[in-house]
Amino acid sequence: MAEPALPADTPSVSGMRARGQLFAEYQPYPGTWDELFLGNGSPRMPFRDAIGAIGAATAEGFARQQALAERSLLAQGVTFSVYADDRGTEKIFPFCLVPRLISAEDWSHLDRGLSQRVRALGMFLDDIYGEQRILAEGIIPRELVLASKQYMPILRGIRPPGGVRVHISGIDLIRDPEGRFRVLEDNLRTPSGVSYVLENRAVTKRVLPRAFDLARVHRVDSYPAQLAETLRACAPSGQSDSSLVVLTPGPYNSAYFEHSFLARTMGVDLVQNVDLFVEDDRVWVRTTRGPRPVEVVYRRTDEAFLDPEVFRKDSMLGVPGIMRAWAKGNVTLANAPGNGVADDKAIYPFVHDMIRFYLSEEPILAQVDTYVCAREDDKNYVVEHLEELVVKAVDEAGGYGMLMGPQSTAKQRAEFKERVLAEPRKYIAQRRIELSTCPTWIEDQNVMAPRRVDLRPYVLTGPKGPWVLPGGLTRTALVEGSYVVNSSQGGGSKDTWVLK
Amino acid sequence: MISRVADHCFWLGRYLERAENTARVLPVTLSLTLDSELTARQSWRPVIVVSGVESSFVGRYGEAATEDGEQVQRYMTWERDNLTSIRSSINAVRENARSIREVLSLDVFQTVNELWLWMNGDAAEELWEADREGFYRHIRDACLLVLGTVRNTMLHDLPLDFLWMGVVLERASQTARILDVQFQNEHGLRLAQLPAADAVGAQSAVDDAVWLALLRACSGLEAFMQRFGGRVGGDAVARFLVLEPKHPRAIRFCVHEGRERFARIRPPEVAGLPGARSWQRLCALDDRLAATESLDDVHALLTHVVDEVADISNEIGGELLGYGAPAGQSQSQ
Repeated sequence: MAEPALPADTPSVSGMRARGQLFAEYQPYPGTWDELFLGNGSPRMPFRDAIGAIGAATAEGFARQQALAERSLLAQGVTFSVYADDRGTEKIFPFCLVPRLISAEDWSHLDRGLSQRVRALGMFLDDIYGEQRILAEGIIPRELVLASKQYMPILRGIRPPGGVRVHISGIDLIRDPEGRFRVLEDNLRTPSGVSYVLENRAVTKRVLPRAFDLARVHRVDSYPAQLAETLRACAPSGQSDSSLVVLTPGPYNSAYFEHSFLARTMGVDLVQNVDLFVEDDRVWVRTTRGPRPVEVVYRRTDEAFLDPEVFRKDSMLGVPGIMRAWAKGNVTLANAPGNGVADDKAIYPFVHDMIRFYLSEEPILAQVDTYVCAREDDKNYVVEHLEELVVKAVDEAGGYGMLMGPQSTAKQRAEFKERVLAEPRKYIAQRRIELSTCPTWIEDQNVMAPRRVDLRPYVLTGPKGPWVLPGGLTRTALVEGSYVVNSSQGGGSKDTWVLK
Repeated sequence: MISRVADHCFWLGRYLERAENTARVLPVTLSLTLDSELTARQSWRPVIVVSGVESSFVGRYGEAATEDGEQVQRYMTWERDNLTSIRSSINAVRENARSIREVLSLDVFQTVNELWLWMNGDAAEELWEADREGFYRHIRDACLLVLGTVRNTMLHDLPLDFLWMGVVLERASQTARILDVQFQNEHGLRLAQLPAADAVGAQSAVDDAVWLALLRACSGLEAFMQRFGGRVGGDAVARFLVLEPKHPRAIRFCVHEGRERFARIRPPEVAGLPGARSWQRLCALDDRLAATESLDDVHALLTHVVDEVADISNEIGGELLGYGAPAGQSQSQ
């Protein structure tokens, strides 16, 4: 008797075996790119061995591994503070043990594209706080840049010590249904999350050693050493033993774990504003043996609170005079103040123009087509098509101040229309991209299901140019069908395996 | 080393020692009430007095509650509003550790964190209900694990020196307080029993139980027996716990150890370093203990130790830990 023909969307027998029992029922969303599986349910070719090893577990076995991973994160204090609670309750970020894999080929494309982009953004900042050639030549509308809340005219003419402005950047990427990576947003001020990249890796290696070994993954734990070397290379003296500190707003900041993690893994002091003072335009740290000079400050305090003499006068977290010391070239601040003008969402549509203008190269990484409401035509289009678009406030982050058009109510749309018309400069709009998915463990149902993800790789830039950490933070929406991956909105994270 | 960080190290050590110490005193008192002729009040009240929370305890639960062992144990173990309770001490240890994670080894932070998670979870309460001795033992073991991890996984450098100095100064002060209260108890007991001249045998049995309990609270029973050949008595026990230079919970040992740590933090031969007053007073206290031969007035000596340790801590705060600095914060007892 002849075997019955398989229906077209059923995986082949070898594909079935390769994905293992854990993923037997896994079905990607139609019309959406899945990071690990083909539309017919077979694992993507470069990931077969690793997926086979993970998929060999039973659902119960995987649930145990997932629980073990969560306990380990809790025991090590890989947590964030929950502000509203006076008992100092802390939580771990929701973590999914199924890693997101990236092939060597895809990564090499990303690596080149990210370096190119970060170089151009750095040159843009030098230009904007210098000659402003790009405005003079009309490549970017002058008023768009100069009216940005993030543009700091008082910083014009100051060359940062060491010559670098964007020491650390986190570039948010998404992947469209064709599998093309697109930049969603640049983070050039104090991007966070890298500690979770390293901690997620430590846990995944411990719990999934076999799959990890089979996959042949680039290591990420060289990041702290690279960071320290990059920052020291940007010291005013450029000496490799320059005194470096991490400045934190304190233990009650939600990212405190990361500040402490970075100081610990770089082997440098973690300081709060009260530990620093400025005298003779130099920065000093108070020690048990008297004051000691500081040359490089990796500051995780927002610019607005950095120096009450220059920015917010009411800042309790600032170091009075630190901007004077910076302007005199006596201390390196990483990242440099004023960077916000380059990651302003209204400037984002012009990054490709920057790449062509400063580097005379064609952009390698795609981005998302964007309507800039400051432009009359764009604004008119946006307010008429709100139900198709994602509208974002240019000066908000973390998934706040946003309208997800296709999922919005008429009332929300009416409200946003009014806001956009009142302050068009404040808004941009983009078509909603069907974000790619990755298999994610759904704890209350004990199953694997597709959930949408993004990717934040980290780029370090020193005097010799950019270096991209081969890995990154994969953030995942935990709610079925959701497009919002931000941790502040209930998103979780995954380890990201970049294959060799 | 950054002054604020040194401050957290110092207090991490003090709170850790305080938690461990309370986890010693409570079960030993419990066992004492079963062995000796002391009344419940005579047994439990000192626990409240030693910790300096007598008035807040009585204010809240009334005078009669000082006889209620369960109430005293609950208050000294769980009460969040009682800053000397074991839970409060462990929370403070963890908060200090979290503030200076970068100078601790991961192992140290993890042992502290696990103790904190355990203490604030269901497992701790369940064990407390089911096995009181096991509960306090778990806390002592966890505290000792932290101290052992500190000494065996961290650089033997300034952060460890500050932490350890906090431990030994707190321990000196705690040992002095317990001893002093027991002496006063015994004194009261003697007066009460004086008319019954024929009750000499019974009296010494009471004494023994108290002193044995005290030695157990300080893990010093075996060491004491080795030094004094089994002759248990108040004077011998006091001699041991105050003046023994080689037992790690004796006052003399702790103060001397504090002095040695201080000398590493601030080498006395280097000119111009802050900390001159603290150093002078610490040396004076150490020298006085070394020169003490007779314990005629134990109460006066113990009071002096408690007061001096408090003052030296304040001096250290002002000279080394940045309490005088703008917006500098300090922790208090």
